[in-house]
Amino acid sequence: MTEKILEVKNMKTSFYTHVGEVQAVRGVSFHLDKGEALGIVGESGSGKSVTSMSVMRLLQYPGTIKEGEVLFNGEDLVKKSKAEMMSVRGNQIAMIFQDPMTSLNPVYTIGNQIMEAVIRHQKVSKAEARERAIDMLKLVGIPSPETRVDNYPHEFSGGMRQRAMIAIALSCQPDLLIADEPTTALDVTIQAQILELLKDLKTKVNTSIILITHDLGVVADVCSRIIVMYGGLIMEEGRSEDIFYEPLHPYTMGLLKSIPRLDLGHKQRLVPIPGSPPDLIKPPKGCPFAARCPYAMKVCLDHQPDYYERKPGHKAACWLYHQDAPTVEFDTGVRRMKE
Amino acid sequence: MTDQFKITPDLWEPIVIEDREKDKIVRKSLTYWQDAWRRLKKNYLSMLGLGVIILLAFAAIAGPMLSPYSYSDQDLNMSNMPPRLELHRLEDGTFVHVHKEYRLYEVSESGELLGRIQHTKEDMINKTREFEFNGNEIVIDYKLAAINKDVPNAPKFTLTINGQPNDTADKTVWNKTYFFGTDTLGRDIFVRSLYGARISLLIALVATLVQFFIGVIYGGVSGYIGGRVDNFMMRVVDIIDTIPLMLYVILLMVVLGAGLLTIIIALGSVYWVRMARLVRGQVLSIKENEFILAARTLGASPWRIMVRHLIPNSMGAIIVSLAMMVPSAIFTESFLSFIGLGVSAPQASWGTLASDAMGGLRTYAYQLFVPSFFISMTVLSFNFLGDGLRDALDPRLRK
Amino acid sequence: MGKYIIRRLISMIITLVFVASITFFLMHAVPGGPFQSEKALPEAVIQALNEKYHLDDPLWKQYLDYMKGVFTFQLGPSFKRVGTTVNDLIVAGFPYSAKLGFFATLAIVALGIPAGIISALKSNKWEDYLVTILATLGVAVPSFVLGALFIYVFSSKLGWLPAFGLTSWKHYIGPVIALSGFSLAFVARLTRSSVLEVMQQDYIRTARAKGLPEIVVIVKHALKNALIPVVTYLGPMIAAMMTGSFIVEKIFAIPGMGKYFVESVSSRDYTVLMGTTIFYAAFSITMIFVVDIAYGFIDPRIKLGD
Repeated sequence: MTEKILEVKNMKTSFYTHVGEVQAVRGVSFHLDKGEALGIVGESGSGKSVTSMSVMRLLQYPGTIKEGEVLFNGEDLVKKSKAEMMSVRGNQIAMIFQDPMTSLNPVYTIGNQIMEAVIRHQKVSKAEARERAIDMLKLVGIPSPETRVDNYPHEFSGGMRQRAMIAIALSCQPDLLIADEPTTALDVTIQAQILELLKDLKTKVNTSIILITHDLGVVADVCSRIIVMYGGLIMEEGRSEDIFYEPLHPYTMGLLKSIPRLDLGHKQRLVPIPGSPPDLIKPPKGCPFAARCPYAMKVCLDHQPDYYERKPGHKAACWLYHQDAPTVEFDTGVRRMKE
Repeated sequence: MTDQFKITPDLWEPIVIEDREKDKIVRKSLTYWQDAWRRLKKNYLSMLGLGVIILLAFAAIAGPMLSPYSYSDQDLNMSNMPPRLELHRLEDGTFVHVHKEYRLYEVSESGELLGRIQHTKEDMINKTREFEFNGNEIVIDYKLAAINKDVPNAPKFTLTINGQPNDTADKTVWNKTYFFGTDTLGRDIFVRSLYGARISLLIALVATLVQFFIGVIYGGVSGYIGGRVDNFMMRVVDIIDTIPLMLYVILLMVVLGAGLLTIIIALGSVYWVRMARLVRGQVLSIKENEFILAARTLGASPWRIMVRHLIPNSMGAIIVSLAMMVPSAIFTESFLSFIGLGVSAPQASWGTLASDAMGGLRTYAYQLFVPSFFISMTVLSFNFLGDGLRDALDPRLRK
Repeated sequence: MGKYIIRRLISMIITLVFVASITFFLMHAVPGGPFQSEKALPEAVIQALNEKYHLDDPLWKQYLDYMKGVFTFQLGPSFKRVGTTVNDLIVAGFPYSAKLGFFATLAIVALGIPAGIISALKSNKWEDYLVTILATLGVAVPSFVLGALFIYVFSSKLGWLPAFGLTSWKHYIGPVIALSGFSLAFVARLTRSSVLEVMQQDYIRTARAKGLPEIVVIVKHALKNALIPVVTYLGPMIAAMMTGSFIVEKIFAIPGMGKYFVESVSSRDYTVLMGTTIFYAAFSITMIFVVDIAYGFIDPRIKLGD
């Protein structure tokens, strides 16, 4: 019986800047099952990173969670005090970031940076913490961990630094790991290694994972379910196979058409999505994608669509799936190769 | 997520593509410099600084020409006159002012100095002076000066007019004859300050230019050639820069002798190391860009590359640096003056004005504050301008 | 680390030789020689003096003698104060200057750095405005003005504090303020911008994501990084304060080295001028060396390789 480890309900996050309120997240709801890997996909400005920062309550002034609940193991994180959140972060929920070079403090050893989390959350001695640090480095596949633990970040290569970050994140055995663009700053071959590592760790340590990226290729391998975000809202949600082979939302289709696919068995054009993301200080009244959608209708401009579930677990926020909507012939360019 | 509303059939109509906003070019493109100027204008402090500098430049050029006094005119009768005059009224409506050295002056009600009133009798033993003016008998008794010598703010003299004591001032007015007062030789401080502005600003600007040229060439060449030549050249710079540059300047001044030209030479030939380092850093980073490679492929000579590509692209950082070097030059010049290595009298720079004022500081504090005020104001203005320039010229902040 | 130190030491020696040489040649470039400027002395007397001070030796010999003297700390006799050697003057004056400089440095580190930190952490609140305004003014006011102002207000008008000499703790206040003013303001600004920049870094976000309390994030993670540029500045700053001390010692009539230095400039006492210059240079070089070593300890990226 799968239980939900994380449940986000109608979360709204805004940044109150001197030019106005930037509504980065405008009502997002999703859940994550224990042991599952969920992918959040979207372009820059879609709100995916802000969502994860909100879950961790890591937002800095002037950002704040306007509304919503974040239920982690049943408890609402939004209502927790600062002190309570400090014992959640790094301990029960951990996060890794995009650029491992700048995300690691250059003046302390890797070992030190792993140990401080362990010591703080699990109250062990320095010697034990050091043992744990070495174990973690071994776990993430860093050779000669006993010596490496005393090295500084600039003595590691890019891929190894990201592994070290993962080691830091997992050092206190968190239930949930949020990976925000973990591979974007890395070479393609290293990317593959890190993703393998994440998959591996998921099974070994049974951590639930949220993987945030703009790159569909990254989530294809690791995640079982995918959420597509745009303009601060979720456009589509479903299992990976559904998203890739039977996309519902025109935005998802647009994304799929703009990346090269090796799995379809036929040649296709790469088609970019024309236009640019919406202004979040004055967000559009209706569907945020309407201005760029080839199938947009009048209703799309003025009213935000409901979620329509085509089959269990696969839904999209699009007026095209309303019962009264006209039927449209989609040019998804996706024809799965029949076995 | 949706509000309750009725969906009418017309809402299902598809939208025409041209109705929507596509990749519109929203504003016309600006060059780097236009954009920088636009951003600088928005920075009020920097604009204020720039305004003050321009104003000062005008005053420095035009001021001494318009003033009735020249910077070297002396009038020993009018020495050490303060900018604010305390006046005592006489019965016939005229006013007199008692000078710190117990001289008496006739002053108009609005503050113009009408003339010195010579004392008719001086009694050194009883420490009194008597004056006769327009039929009035005025006595100044300065016995208290010795008694109250170290007591601050205590009266140093008593004033008796026609037998009546008249110790408190009836009026305090601004000195309309000498706006900032006079110095020990009776020279007008206002015109000397403006003249000093000429000298101080001239020194600062020209020295900065000299530093610029030497530094740009040295740093540009070093950065462009790179490798061991660069290493060596920078080592030399490091060695020079290890000790306070002021020491070199002082030594140079001792050798060259004090004077306007020598100060400029000394400053320019020492402080270029700062500029050299900056330019070299800029050149090193710009050198790697592909447009340099393109220029080389097209056959451009190193000199042309330096002058047409590398230097113009470093101008942002160079300009900011120049703006910050001027205050430093002003400070250095005033320090030199203080040690006695400034311009020679009767030429005046703000530094020499300040240095001259030290002798009479306890009694004539204004003589120090006037040049200090000018120095601080100018330095602040350049600092504000420099800060604003730095923000405006930073390409990363382009919007 | 050892190699780094050795290289730095060699650098120091080269620099000292360079500076001593420049000083020597500059002084010998002054037209006329040290005795020419005075009231016209008879030819024979000048001759005798030149002989006594070896000024008629060939230049290269004088140079070598001089360099020998520099490295054995025998800086020669004073020309103008007959009977005193440069060494005597330095030994007499240095303690005063050193004490002044020490307290000034203390003030800068103990006041300027915390002020900058507070200002950065309370960005755009009243603490920030106060520090920023004071610091902006502080770098615009020359030290002699600060000193003179201090004397005027606190000695002449209010009579609270003495104006001359360095005999009691009260005597230190004015000179220390005047000497440290500019650098204190500068360090405050530098610290502030450095802390602000560091707080924007990704590794601060990581530290928070680990669940560390904000105090730990600031003190452990931010400060060590933020203070790197500040520490680097301290070396040249201390050196610059030495030159600043000339003015302060003159204004407050403190019998430190600066006073002798300034006097030697106006009296053209060349040996004293040379000797004190070299001493200042050596001191400056040493300070920068010490700071470089300290910097090597703080920033691990520097330790390896030069």
